[in-house]
Amino acid sequence: MRGRELQNLKRFLDKMELEYDEGIEYTVCVLNEEYQIIGTGSVEKNVIKCVAIDPAYQGQGYSATILSALIQYEFDKAVTHLFIYTKPKNLDMFADMGFHTILMTKDILFMENRSRGFESFMRALREETPEEALRKDAVIGAVVANCNPFTLGHRYLLEEALKRCDYLHLFILSDDRGAFRAEERYAMVQAGIRDMERVILHRTSDYMISAATFPTYFFKDKLQAKTANCRLDLELFASRIAPELSITKRFVGTEPGCNVTRQYNEEMKKILPDYGITVEEIKRKELEGSFISASRVRSFLETREYDEVKQLVPEDVFELLVEKGRP
Amino acid sequence: MEIKKPAVAGTLESSDCQVTVEAGEGKIDFSLDSAVINQYGNQIRKVVFETLSNLGIDSVRIAIVDKGALDCTIRARVEAAVFRSLEQTENLPWGGAIRS
Repeated sequence: MRGRELQNLKRFLDKMELEYDEGIEYTVCVLNEEYQIIGTGSVEKNVIKCVAIDPAYQGQGYSATILSALIQYEFDKAVTHLFIYTKPKNLDMFADMGFHTILMTKDILFMENRSRGFESFMRALREETPEEALRKDAVIGAVVANCNPFTLGHRYLLEEALKRCDYLHLFILSDDRGAFRAEERYAMVQAGIRDMERVILHRTSDYMISAATFPTYFFKDKLQAKTANCRLDLELFASRIAPELSITKRFVGTEPGCNVTRQYNEEMKKILPDYGITVEEIKRKELEGSFISASRVRSFLETREYDEVKQLVPEDVFELLVEKGRP
Repeated sequence: MEIKKPAVAGTLESSDCQVTVEAGEGKIDFSLDSAVINQYGNQIRKVVFETLSNLGIDSVRIAIVDKGALDCTIRARVEAAVFRSLEQTENLPWGGAIRS
């Protein structure tokens, strides 16, 4: 949508106390005889959002029409695991349309269209975890990272974290929008931590730092001042994921650059302790006076300064990077 | 026969049902959401399994969101979802199997 249409949509959403999300890729609107919007819904990747019906037209089944059209659109692009991010008062409406609650708090409702989606995610996490790491007396930590690509900075964070816990769950983001695809990043991490026995590697799927739980993360370059909108992600981690794996510590690197990530870390420090999880910030590793970061590695890769790259990533990862012939 | 490509048929409107099919894991993985699941859950399940069996489908993940659909509607929606998934749009053998 664009121009006048987009303006009308934004005005309507504003009236419904919703904000138009810049990442939206597809929108449907229901109009009355005067061509005014009386209902709408949108899609961003696998997330249905900004669904609203004018109160004067509620109870006439328009939400069903809108949802049907959005689901049809998603299936047409072969996206089948769908999420809804909405307000708790909409629980009955979406439950009636085949959505199941993953998390509901005072002001957030997060649902998916699979009845056992989250449960099978958690089952997979438990299956990936060795028995010793499920023992009650072990101290369990967690790191969630993109590793785009895996650097010596990540490795340093893991090493420092391991000094402070018995086992460490490492969750690699599953979103494919970065420079390296999810499976490539996963393979790089696997290679980079081969010798670290107490690290347990997982994929985040759609349940941690994803388009569904933390959409602004993927637009962090564009959004400098805006709020990070990361509460859902942290609440879900703290209330449903961490307890299942007895995670009591979450480790993060200090964030010198990115505003969104910094806000995320700050929110983390506010929310996680309420659930008995401590947040430990570890100072980023420096090399010759500047921080090691994945974005630095990417820019050296772009300019083909492989000698520089070699200093910033583990040897095995460097081989993978060269093998791939990137960029 | 297996389902490979995801497809959807039907809507969430009253008296209809939305049927989604995706690749399965060698069996029929059935899930149902319905306001009348206690009254008609078994009957809906029976209709879906019969329809799939007629179509010769034995591996699929199929999800039904029922909004009070009649058996004939359910059958038609399941068939349509399967035909779309197999990209068969002509000579549709409604009520029968797909011969390849």
